[in-house]
Amino acid sequence: MPRKQRRVVFTVLFRLGTFLALALVLSPAAWLLASVVAKAVPHWRWSVLWTGLTSTGGGLLGPVTGTLILMAGVLVVAGSVGVLAGVHLSEMARPRKNGAEGGTWLRMASDVLSGFPSIVLGYVGYVALVVGLHWGFSLLPAVLILSLMVVPYIAKSTETALRQVPTAYREGAEALGMRTGDTLRKVVLRSAAPGIVTGLLIALAIAGGETAPLLFTAEFSRTLWTGALVHAHGFGYLTYVVYTFWDTPSKQANYLSYDAALILIAMVLLLLVAARLIVARTQRHSESRAR
Amino acid sequence: MPADRPTDPVGKHAAGANAAAPQGVQGVQLDPVLDALDPDRDRPAHVIETRRLTLHFGSKPILSSIDMAFERGSVTALIGPTGSGKSTFLRTLNRMNDKVRGFRTDGDVVLEGRSIWAPGTDLLELRRRVGMLFQRPNPFPMSIRDNVVAGVRAHRIARGKQLDVVAEQRLREVGLWDAVKDRLGDSPFRLSGGQQQLLCLARALAVGPDVLLLDEPTSSLDPISTEYVEALLRQLAPALTLIVVTHNLAQARRVSRTTMFFYDGRLVEHGPTDALFEHPSDPQTERYVTGRIG
Repeated sequence: MPRKQRRVVFTVLFRLGTFLALALVLSPAAWLLASVVAKAVPHWRWSVLWTGLTSTGGGLLGPVTGTLILMAGVLVVAGSVGVLAGVHLSEMARPRKNGAEGGTWLRMASDVLSGFPSIVLGYVGYVALVVGLHWGFSLLPAVLILSLMVVPYIAKSTETALRQVPTAYREGAEALGMRTGDTLRKVVLRSAAPGIVTGLLIALAIAGGETAPLLFTAEFSRTLWTGALVHAHGFGYLTYVVYTFWDTPSKQANYLSYDAALILIAMVLLLLVAARLIVARTQRHSESRAR
Repeated sequence: MPADRPTDPVGKHAAGANAAAPQGVQGVQLDPVLDALDPDRDRPAHVIETRRLTLHFGSKPILSSIDMAFERGSVTALIGPTGSGKSTFLRTLNRMNDKVRGFRTDGDVVLEGRSIWAPGTDLLELRRRVGMLFQRPNPFPMSIRDNVVAGVRAHRIARGKQLDVVAEQRLREVGLWDAVKDRLGDSPFRLSGGQQQLLCLARALAVGPDVLLLDEPTSSLDPISTEYVEALLRQLAPALTLIVVTHNLAQARRVSRTTMFFYDGRLVEHGPTDALFEHPSDPQTERYVTGRIG
C-alpha cells in the first residue's frame, strides 16, 4: 500500500478507536441516567422531598437531609484535613538530605489508605467507633469513616493543584518580601483553587454515593436526624434507600428507591455545576482565562 | 504599550527626571548647600558591597571571590555569557538562592554596612529594600490594582483608601496609568507583555526599595517596550540603585554607568561602562564586548 494511503487508513482507524472509547464511557452513563429517569419520572411527586418515611411509604425527607448532613460533615472534616495534608505535602515537607522528596511517609500512608476497600474501612469504624467507643450507629462515626475514605483523594488533588502553580508566582511574591503565609493564601492557593475545589466536590460526590461503610457505621433510620452526633439509633441516607428498597415487595418502596437514585444523581450534577461556578469566579484574573 | 513617553515621575523619584542622560558622576552633589541637605549623607556611599563572595551549588563552584561595591544611585550592568554566574550573583543579593538545595556561600554581602546574613536579619524587610524584576513578567493572578499593592499590603505600608492612592501613583510612575485606569479590576494577563512588565515594576517600586535587581528585564519584550523600560530605568536611577543583568550589550551601554563582566564563574573585569567597552583591560572582556565570544 502506498504510504499516503497507509497514513489515511491509520488516521481513520485511530479516530474510530478514540470515538469507540468515548462511546464506551458515555453509553453506560447515558443508559444509567436514562433508565433512572425513566423509572422515577412517571410516578414522581415533589412531596417526596418534604415528607418523612413511613413503614408503608411516605417520602424521602429523612434520607435526603441525612445525605446532605453527611456531605457537610465530610466537607468539614475531610476537607480541612485533606487540604492541609495536601498543602503540607506540596509546600511544607522539607526535601530529605539525600535529595529525595519530602513527605514520603505521609504520601505513602495516604496511598495505602486510599487502597483500602471501603467496606473494610466501614468494618474498622464499626469495631473501633460504633462498638469500641460505644457510639452506636450514628452520624459521627459515619462522617469520620467517610472522611477517612476521601482524605487521601483530597490531599492528592490539593497537592497536584499546588504543584501546578507557576514558580514565577512564588518567586515574585518571595522577592516582594511577602510572608510565606501571605504568599500561600493570596497567590498560591488562589491560583490552585480550581483544582482544590474540584477535588473537594468530587470527593463529596464519592462520599454521598457511598453505601458500604455506612451500613457498618450509620446503619439506617426512618426518622429525621435528632441532632445527636453519637448514641443515635441509626441514621438515614439515600444510598440505603436505593440499595434496599428496590427489590422489596412494596410498590411504594420500589418507587422511593428510584426517586432516591434520581435525587442522588441530581445532587452530584448540582455539585459539578457548583464547582464550575466557583472555578469561574476564582479564576477571573487567572493567566489561562485571559488567553 | 502606553503611547506617551515616561512622564515626570512623582514622589521620591522626582529628582531623577533631569538626570536621564548620563553626565559625569551622578549622585555626587556639587552644591555644598544641597550636599548638606542630602538625607543620605551619613549613610555609606556604597549601598551594597560583596566581600570575597563565593557561591556554590553542592560541590559545584558558581562564582569565586567577588569583591564589588555598588554606589548609591548608580546603574550597574552585569554582562557575560549564559552560565557565567551573573544571574546567580544577582539572586544572591536578596537571598533568593537561600532555599535552593545545596546552595552555599563564603564571604559576605553587606547592605548599608550590615551583612544580609547577619543573625536577626529580617528576610522580608531585606527583600522589601532590595526588590527584584524578573526576566518574564510575573503578575499575580489578581486584579491590576491588587497586583500593584500586593507588596504594600503584605508589608502593611498602607491600607484601605490609601491603597488606591498608592496604586495610582505607582502606575503613573511607570507610565501605565492612562492605559489601565479604566480597568483596574481586570486581569493583568490581558495586558501586553511590556505592560505586564511595567506592572511588575510598579509593584516592585510600591514597597519603596533602595535597590532594584533586574534579571534581564527586557529580554521578553519588543523593541519599543524595551526602549520605554530603559528610559524609565534611567529616570529611576538617582533615587534607586539599580543592578541589571543583561545579554544585550547595547542595553548595558545605554543604561549603565558601571559594568561588570562575568566569565566562567569569575568577575573578569568591572569599571565605568564606557571605559570597559572602549578600552577593556582584559583580553577576554575585549573578545566578549566585540562579539567574538558569546
